[in-house]
Amino acid sequence: MVKLTIDGQELEFTEGTSLFDACREARGEALPHFCYHPDLPIAGVCRLCQVEIEGMPKLTIACNTTVRDGMVVFTRNERVRKAAQQTLEMHLINHPVDCPICDQAGECGLQNQYMEYGLYESEVEKGDKVTKAKAQVIGPHVILDTERCVLCTRCVRFCDHVTGTGELGIFNRGDRAEVGIAPGKELNNNYSLNTVDICPVGALTSRDFRFKKRVWLLKSTQTICPGCATGCNIRVDHEADRIFRIKPRLNADVNGRWMCDFGRLEYRRVHAESRLDAPLLADGDRQREASWDQVWSRLDALGGKGLFVVSPWQTLEEMDLFKGLGGGNTVVSGPSESGRGDGDEILLSTDRTPNRKSLAWLGIDELAGDELAARARAADGVVVVYGGDPVGEVPAFAEAVAGKTLVYLGTHRNATSDAAQVVVPTSAWAERDGIFVNAKGRLQLIRRVVARPGEAREDWRFLADWQGRTDDQTQPAGLPELRRGVAERVAALNGQDLNTIGASGSAVAEADTGGDA
Amino acid sequence: MNRDDYRILSKRFGTKDGHKLSVYESQGGYQALRKAVGDLGPAKVTELVKESGLRGRGGAGFPAGVKWGFVPKDADTVYFMVNADESEPGTFKDRFLLDYDPHAVIEGSIISSFAVNACLCVIYIRGEFGWLIDRTQKAVDEAYAAGFLGENILGSGYKLDMIVHKGAGAYICGEETGLINSVTGRKGQPLIKPPFPAVSGFLGKPTIVNNVETVASVPFILNEGVEAYRAHGTEKSAGTKLFSVSGPVRNPGVHEIPLGLPFRDFFNDWLGGMAEGEELKAVIMGGSSVPVLTAEEAMNTRLDYESLAEAGTMLGSGGMIIIPARCDMVELIQVLMHFYWDESCGQCTPCREGTGWLHRIVRRLRRGEGTLEDIDLLDKVCGGMAGLTICPLADAAVMPMQSFLQRFRAEFEALVHDSKQPGPASRWAREFRS
Repeated sequence: MVKLTIDGQELEFTEGTSLFDACREARGEALPHFCYHPDLPIAGVCRLCQVEIEGMPKLTIACNTTVRDGMVVFTRNERVRKAAQQTLEMHLINHPVDCPICDQAGECGLQNQYMEYGLYESEVEKGDKVTKAKAQVIGPHVILDTERCVLCTRCVRFCDHVTGTGELGIFNRGDRAEVGIAPGKELNNNYSLNTVDICPVGALTSRDFRFKKRVWLLKSTQTICPGCATGCNIRVDHEADRIFRIKPRLNADVNGRWMCDFGRLEYRRVHAESRLDAPLLADGDRQREASWDQVWSRLDALGGKGLFVVSPWQTLEEMDLFKGLGGGNTVVSGPSESGRGDGDEILLSTDRTPNRKSLAWLGIDELAGDELAARARAADGVVVVYGGDPVGEVPAFAEAVAGKTLVYLGTHRNATSDAAQVVVPTSAWAERDGIFVNAKGRLQLIRRVVARPGEAREDWRFLADWQGRTDDQTQPAGLPELRRGVAERVAALNGQDLNTIGASGSAVAEADTGGDA
Repeated sequence: MNRDDYRILSKRFGTKDGHKLSVYESQGGYQALRKAVGDLGPAKVTELVKESGLRGRGGAGFPAGVKWGFVPKDADTVYFMVNADESEPGTFKDRFLLDYDPHAVIEGSIISSFAVNACLCVIYIRGEFGWLIDRTQKAVDEAYAAGFLGENILGSGYKLDMIVHKGAGAYICGEETGLINSVTGRKGQPLIKPPFPAVSGFLGKPTIVNNVETVASVPFILNEGVEAYRAHGTEKSAGTKLFSVSGPVRNPGVHEIPLGLPFRDFFNDWLGGMAEGEELKAVIMGGSSVPVLTAEEAMNTRLDYESLAEAGTMLGSGGMIIIPARCDMVELIQVLMHFYWDESCGQCTPCREGTGWLHRIVRRLRRGEGTLEDIDLLDKVCGGMAGLTICPLADAAVMPMQSFLQRFRAEFEALVHDSKQPGPASRWAREFRS
């Protein structure tokens, strides 16, 4: 341990701790900074985190200093404050100050630090400003405004060291220096939108979010990305039941501070035109909207026989309820080819479903398309599909269910919903609470972020109601009760209390899961 | 003493074919190397250079032997680099050394590399010195052929390779970590310290970077001994130093003098005073980055590290610029500010933004569009740059700016008063009118 004094406070840190982190702890807030980022190599170029260390003639940047025993550090004295102000002023002299049309306004490092350290009157002549190129499209998701850039090089270091793709660089020198894209390249790696997150100013903005909403109007909800089996921890920013963007949320055990671009744009599906928002019943060749009473009488008449097919996009609780609903009937998942895609070495999994692990834990077999079709062909008159689109993906399945009663529980209109005699609109991932189990067996909570469209039902309540109509047993009154039941029924959970999972999830030992990943 | 007695480094300047190995060897060349790899060994060489008091001649004046001592003892691979970027305005001494006496530089480089047990020595020459690159390369080839480079140098078992590397013409590549980055193939931008290059430099290995003149002084120290070297100069500023003098004096050019020489004597005896009709106004002693001195200040100082520090300036690279009375100081500072603005690498914010701001304010003043507040603003901008960056380029811009303001403020103010700008000179008033 190393003992040092920061602003008169004596503190102990482990050897090798960065002085930047030590100061953050001592001050209760970070030193002003642009270039420092805990997950990127040190650049030391913004020169904002300068502190005074006793015995050193010059101010020292804290980010590139490790704590030493007996160090006496000042972070709030006049000299340090003045240096921070002067350096901030240097950052601003050639900045266009176009906050009124900048997406970053409200969460901008320049704005925040100006309020903290600046508050001076500008002495730059308008004619003295260096102007640079604005609004350049540099990739499918990102727009670059070099005039707003403070050249902290975070984005460059991200592409060099995190993705290893190296698309970005600093071109030219002096105050003509600009972030730019390597000739013939575009910023199109799977993680390009992270550069927007780490850009401390409005130089890199998201083409998707651009001009959509002022950030101070947004509310944030912590949840889990449904895009793949990694289960990145995310924050969904929304207002008035509309999602505007997704940002990664720090979880060192899952995704660190990053997430992929696919996951980030998953929210679009929540608000898609094709959402099912009312129950439908087949009427001859057509489907028509029906009342819930009509739906129930139709479902009651099925007699609870047939094949039950659940998708890996449902939560652990929903799968458990659905399995119970199937009762003596066969409950399977499939087609197993569904929800696969290219993965990468960083975060994106080849398994593009959020909860396949739970199927294994619940003992629900995943069947390949032709096998699933064979089972449907053999099924006793009724096939219930919960999520996914097996009719669209497996032609043999479509043929197999043709003469049968097909019930579809789902969120979007697709080939399966079109073929169904009964369609029950359910909730998208951002409209319900539940548990996803990622590929590593980590239990993570998804949260209700926005309201369900139209008459879409909350999945577990609908399943519990349906169950209640078939067997007269008392159904769980709420999610906590349901989760207690799930914990009892699923051996792989190893007695884990599902009601105490926190915002960063809870890992269940892999050895106890009994399933394959 | 005769002026020629001080010629340690410039001994062969002007000698016919002095750049050839045969001439160099006939005058005792490569004897110091024989001594070093023979009897002395690396530790003793380092010790001798430490004792000699030889200081880095590139500008910072750091004791060379001490710098060598920073290389970790257990380092497996060490690199040595010779800084021949010579980009400091007003400086042209290293090019004389490489032009007239390349073998002295090469011998000094081999000995210095040997002292730190380097396996590779890179001579980094600025791109503009095209002919010097050829000349140095030829000399290196001669040294290889003679067995002074390559495997088993002079039968000692020591192996050293030498590369002549051409820079691409950036001021900042004269800063040692900028130079290392440039050699590596990266953009010539200084690296943050720590780690210092003596611990982690080129390819992450310990790397020593020394100026051409520094290494060229080493053979003499080994040949003639520490005493002979220390016979010149002062206690703390030992030895001789090359000054490259430009400006309207009778004898401009490269002069070698013992450190501690009064400027007055240098000016009168070596330089022969001002040229016909010229009057001395000011002197930049050690390259454009050091504070300027008035004629009077200059006349009362001596040419060594300590005296010049006392006078408020620095010895720097020895690139002496003599400024005559007819020179417009604001025009001169505009040229310098343009230079630093152009050459800032752009990494650190205070330098990137500050050098440009200074340049634009000075330019405005010279156009007669400046105000008295602009003159104060120059001072303020300097305050936001000095000492706040990775490398000293920001300071290099600030030191002349501040010293010009301090010593020649009247010339700046005259531009405001003489301005033909009508009406109130308020910046705000102008801005809103336009």
